[in-house]
Amino acid sequence: MISGVLSGLLLSCSGENSTSTSPNQTESIAGVDADANGVRDDVDRYIDTTYAGQASADLNKAVRQYAKAVQSSLLDADSHTLSLTHATERFRALECLMARRPDEFHAIFVDIRAQLLNTPSRSEAYLNADDQVKTANIPLLPADQWVTACQS
Amino acid sequence: MSTNRYRVLLLSVLLGVAWLPEAGAQVPAQSACHNAAASRTAIYFVNGVTTTRDEARLNGGKLELEFLSKLPTMAPAVQAMCHLFFLNINPTSGAVKDFLEAGQQRLGLTSTTFWQGLEGAGLATSGVIAQVLQRPISNANQIDDETIQRHATAFREQIASPTCRRVLVVPHSQGNLYSNASYNRLLGQAPTPPTGTVKIVGVATPADVVQGNGLYRTSSTDLLISGIRLVLRTTLPANTNWGISPLLLSPAYSGGHSFIGYLTAEPSRTQILTDMEFSLIALASVNPC
Repeated sequence: MISGVLSGLLLSCSGENSTSTSPNQTESIAGVDADANGVRDDVDRYIDTTYAGQASADLNKAVRQYAKAVQSSLLDADSHTLSLTHATERFRALECLMARRPDEFHAIFVDIRAQLLNTPSRSEAYLNADDQVKTANIPLLPADQWVTACQS
Repeated sequence: MSTNRYRVLLLSVLLGVAWLPEAGAQVPAQSACHNAAASRTAIYFVNGVTTTRDEARLNGGKLELEFLSKLPTMAPAVQAMCHLFFLNINPTSGAVKDFLEAGQQRLGLTSTTFWQGLEGAGLATSGVIAQVLQRPISNANQIDDETIQRHATAFREQIASPTCRRVLVVPHSQGNLYSNASYNRLLGQAPTPPTGTVKIVGVATPADVVQGNGLYRTSSTDLLISGIRLVLRTTLPANTNWGISPLLLSPAYSGGHSFIGYLTAEPSRTQILTDMEFSLIALASVNPC
C-alpha cells in the first residue's frame, strides 16, 4: 500500500518529464546529431533551454561536455578500450561540473542523465559501457584541480 | 524562466542550497599537501548497489568537498595530514539493469523517470533493490570475491612502503559489505599491515558490524535499510536522521538512502564528518611503515 502510494508520488512528480521528452522507444542509440557536435540534437536543445543566458554559460558548457562523453560511451559500448577512454572523459566532465556548481552538481547530473538515457536501449548501452570498465581504476583529480578538467 | 530550468532550480532548492549562477569558487589545495614530510592518508569511497560509476565519482567528490569544508575546524593532528581521495568501485551495472527492468515492468517507469528516481521512495520501497541487496547479505559467498581482493590489494598498496599511507574507508550501502570483507581479507593475508592503519566509517549500512570497531551512520528515514532490517534483524540500528530535510519529498532523494543526501542533510552530514575526524585522529597515532 505504502509502496504503491510512494510509487505514485514518484511517477506523478516526474510525469511532466515523460510527456515533454516523449522519445520514440524504438529510436536508435545514436539519435539525430545534425550539427555533428557529438551531442544529440534533442539534448542540445534541452541544454540550451535549461541553461540559457550569460550567467549559465559556464554551466551550459560543462553539461554539454558531460553529454558528449556519455553519447560517445553509448556509441562505443561494445569496445573495452574505447569505453575506458570515454569513462575517463566522463570523470573529467563530472569534475568540471563539480568545479562549476559545487552545491548543485548532483541535481544537475540526475536531470541531464535522465535526458540522455531516455530510452531502454540507451540505458542499456550506458550500463554496458560501465560493465566494460568494471575493474578499471580511473585516476581522480583532486578538488583543487577540478576546474582544469573543463574544456574551453 | 523555462519549465526545465524551473525544475532544476526546484531540485536545487530541495537540496537546501541557493541558486548560484556564477562559477563555483576554486577549492584551495590542502596546505599539508605542500609539505613533503607530512603524513598522507588515503580516503576511499566505496559505492553502493544503486550507484553507477558516474554517481560514484560524484559521491566521492561530495565527500571530498564536505570534508575539505570542515577540515579547517578539525583537530590539529588531522589538519597536519595530507588527505588524498580515491574510489574503490563496486561494479553495479548488472544490478542496475535488474532494477531498470523491474522498474519498467513492476512500477511502469519510463527510462527517464527510472533514472530520476533511482534513489527515490518508489524503488526503495518496491522490494526491487532490497531483493538484490539481501542476496549477498544472507550468503557471504555471493559477494564478488574478485572485487573484495581488488579492494584489499588497493588498501595494501597504499599502506606499504614507499607510499606509507593510512587508509580511511567510507562505504555507502552495499559498499559496507565489501569494505568489511576486504578489511578481513587484508588482515587475513600476509604480510599483515600494522594494527590500526585502516579504519572504516560506514554510511547507510545493511551490515550487522563495522570491522575494526569502525563507526557508522544509518538514518531512521532510510527506507531501503529499514526494509532490510525488517527481514534481517541483526542489521545495525539507525543512529542518525535527515532532520526535516525537504530532500525527503524530492523524487530523486525520497528513499532517504542517497549518499549525497546523507552528506547534505543535518545532522547526518555533521555526524559523518565528525566520525571521519575521530577515525583520522586514531589513524594519526599509528605509523604504517
